[in-house]
Amino acid sequence: MHTVTFLPGYRKIEVPRETTVLDAAQRAGLNINVVCGGQGKCGKCVVYVQSGKTEFDQQKNLKFFTQEELAQGACLACQATVQGDLQIIIPDSTLIQEQKILIEGLDTGIELHPSVRKYYVELLPPTLSDPSPDLSRLLWGIQKNGGPVAEKMYAPLEALREIPTLLRHSDWKVTGTIALVPGGYRLVDLQENDTSKRLYGAAVDLGSTTVVVYLWDLVAGKMVAVASNYNKQISCGEDILARVNFAKKNGLSKLQALAADSINAALTTAANSAGIDREDIYEVVVAGNTVMTHMLLGIDPGYMIAEPYVPVVRRALSVASGRIGIACNRNGGLFLFPAVSDFIGGDIIADILACGMAEKEEISLLIDIGTNFEVVMGNREWMFSCAGAAGPALEGGEVLFGMRANPGAIDKITIDPATLDPAYSTINGIKPRGLTGSGLIDLLAELLMNCVIDRNGRINTGFNHPRIRTGVHFPEYVVVRAEETDIGKDIVLTENDIKNLIMSKASVHAACVTLMKEAGISRQQITTIYFAGAFGNYLNKMNAATIGLIPEIPISQIKNIGNGAVTGANIALINRRKRKTLDEIATKIAYIELNAEPAFMDEYTSSAFLPHTDLSLFPEVQKMLDTCRLHRG
Amino acid sequence: MGSDIRFGWTGAIGSVILGATRSEGGTRKISYRVGGGTTLPFLDHAPASSPLVALEICDEPQYWPQIVRNYCGDLVDDVSAWATTAETVYGADLIRLYLTSTRQRNFSDIPLVGKAVEEVLSATGLPLIIEGSNEPGIDSEVFQKCGEAGEGERLLLGTAEAGRYRSIAAAALAYNHSIIAQSPIDINLAKQLNILLREIGIQQDHIMIDPYTGTLGYGFEYSYSAMERIRFSALKGDADLAMPMICSAIDSLTIKEVREADTAYQDEMAVAWEFYAGLAAAVAGAEIICVRHPKTVGRLKKAFTSLKTGSDPTGRI
Repeated sequence: MHTVTFLPGYRKIEVPRETTVLDAAQRAGLNINVVCGGQGKCGKCVVYVQSGKTEFDQQKNLKFFTQEELAQGACLACQATVQGDLQIIIPDSTLIQEQKILIEGLDTGIELHPSVRKYYVELLPPTLSDPSPDLSRLLWGIQKNGGPVAEKMYAPLEALREIPTLLRHSDWKVTGTIALVPGGYRLVDLQENDTSKRLYGAAVDLGSTTVVVYLWDLVAGKMVAVASNYNKQISCGEDILARVNFAKKNGLSKLQALAADSINAALTTAANSAGIDREDIYEVVVAGNTVMTHMLLGIDPGYMIAEPYVPVVRRALSVASGRIGIACNRNGGLFLFPAVSDFIGGDIIADILACGMAEKEEISLLIDIGTNFEVVMGNREWMFSCAGAAGPALEGGEVLFGMRANPGAIDKITIDPATLDPAYSTINGIKPRGLTGSGLIDLLAELLMNCVIDRNGRINTGFNHPRIRTGVHFPEYVVVRAEETDIGKDIVLTENDIKNLIMSKASVHAACVTLMKEAGISRQQITTIYFAGAFGNYLNKMNAATIGLIPEIPISQIKNIGNGAVTGANIALINRRKRKTLDEIATKIAYIELNAEPAFMDEYTSSAFLPHTDLSLFPEVQKMLDTCRLHRG
Repeated sequence: MGSDIRFGWTGAIGSVILGATRSEGGTRKISYRVGGGTTLPFLDHAPASSPLVALEICDEPQYWPQIVRNYCGDLVDDVSAWATTAETVYGADLIRLYLTSTRQRNFSDIPLVGKAVEEVLSATGLPLIIEGSNEPGIDSEVFQKCGEAGEGERLLLGTAEAGRYRSIAAAALAYNHSIIAQSPIDINLAKQLNILLREIGIQQDHIMIDPYTGTLGYGFEYSYSAMERIRFSALKGDADLAMPMICSAIDSLTIKEVREADTAYQDEMAVAWEFYAGLAAAVAGAEIICVRHPKTVGRLKKAFTSLKTGSDPTGRI
């Protein structure tokens, strides 16, 4: 074994020889940025060997480093192996930084009706004249206290083994925990004395980047804590595909453990902050995308990523939490949201539950945008869904100065029509480091309104203005001058960035239109558009319509449901009746495969214009643009 | 021969006026009002005029198809004579002058461009289509020069594309010429470009759509279907697509079938290919058909007349 010390934090870990530095860092609890999943392709996991011996093929990785960096001991953590005791410096840029993660309060107004309940009973001890067995005595007591009918409750062997001693030891004063599981009512726990007030449940959004946990007091019906954590799987690949590939290479059990670990970490933080014992958490409800759900359960997701893209299950699942390593009560239950297809997962079903569109007469459109987007349209009668690749542009990828919603990301911008100078705000208010999705959308809309770009997204280089110039490869607009930034470089938006943004927004809009055509409805028939996910929260709705990201409907009818996945999970946690509808929703949704839809490409080209080639679809935007542009002349 | 089919369309194709006679402020012998249709070509209610045929010529023949150079001989070295012959001998309705001289490396002799335009203008009384440079670096100066040299003559300037339309639009606006708006075989892209042009001030009656014409057997069917969609949308009322169309299946003379044809039949093969591509484009709705082989001009005109009047071009009834 060799000791690897990671600087600057002096974290130490003992690992066997030949372990990769990446593995060692992960075991030391460091979140290293590994976009490619540790294949040596992305060059993001740069570390510096300060002392000690590693094995690393410099020749093979020349493209990632300058000579100077190599001389300083630079190497890729995923490719370098430990050959002795080491001291490794991890630069800030290699660590995954804390993101602005969405955690918002929730006032569901949902009736408290959890699937797990506690009953405190004071039983009469048996006598010769009342010799009924311990279990019957307990279950009758529970029934008398408002519990289910005694005959319908089942006590597993583990419980039976505990019952006789526990009843007598507690002087016949016990609290029984009854959970409704797929097989019926089940006695999941028996405790001495009155613990009936200590009953908690957790709702979990298992995202591929972030895990969010809401902890609920299931007796009072109150949320008691919220915590979030990075999905630790990120060290096995940043995107889903990289992780599925990691799973294929015998990595499934590691991914399973990391998923459970990520939930546990957030669960522990939440429990600690609420001052409760994790043993009192009896149920965990998880909404995650299809691949995440599969991985958490340790089901091979490998077949899902190839044609014909079939998931293993399409219904809600309940399992004992202990079986997959979730750190709550040892007999606690885990409920997982159903998935529709490989792309429309439990998180989207949770979104649907959260916005209530499956209960309404009116037609709603639900849009969840990340690197991939999912769109669902329908009402209580019918639903269509589709998913596609939006490309990373809307999340700040493939954009020169694009970034995620990290501190320093510009999230809002307006441009002064008179001076063409921008006014912006950044996350955490620090000096700007880049542009995040909502900032990019603002920028695009503002540049369009001020005629800096045409409807094709091309920068009008005829403008004589210091902010509009020709860069090394493309014309660009200078958003922030170097001296005002935190990175010492001009933050610019290039014509190529704009092209990528337009392609992203075009796929989302084309998907919406494809569903509308499939259902035979016009945009006027859409009563509400719901944005789910972090993206919607920071989004300027008017600007989203201006660039034609979404069909034009009155702005007041566009709503953010925020983290719909966790909201849906919360609802399902506190009211079990809501769960019944989930399988029904999952079965009802028709999935449209965009790749198999000949009209999609046409819709896409048509949408790849600002806001759209068919301006009659955007009458208000058109009016507004005409006014703005008139001023500019 | 026409047919009295009606489709219930309410839209109409706009008109573009090309060329200006003396009374119209120019020096052309004739001017054309192109477009104006309310139905498909060659039906009873189609415009009275047939599609026009333009002969393409150039000021620097090294970039021109060998087959035309062989056929025309020394003519190709004298752009004025070539233009005169196009009108008087070949019978073209229009002349499309490609300023191929601008394709020479580091071309900077902008006055030469103006001179070529002026020479052709004085060599023929036909309205002109001018194809400017292919090089963004000199676009602005070249188009400016063309526009200036043809002021008052209502030229048709080519070719604007989505990524490159500002210089040509500026020249067209300054000197009142029209523009060819080319997009790669897609109705949406065609419409987008027309919107972009509209937004920088080009009037709809100064735009002709070039849907990009693949030659027969080399993608023409895609062009045909794009043209069909463009025309149907226009006739159904989409004003941003209601412009006349111009087609030039320029690859016709360089395709394998023509290159590899027996020398004795090479001209025939080339003409046949251009003819059928041009005829098909006209049937799809194109108002101007551009060709490069002189012999194709007469063939197409004869065919158009025949389609229009129902007469058999051979004289039989």
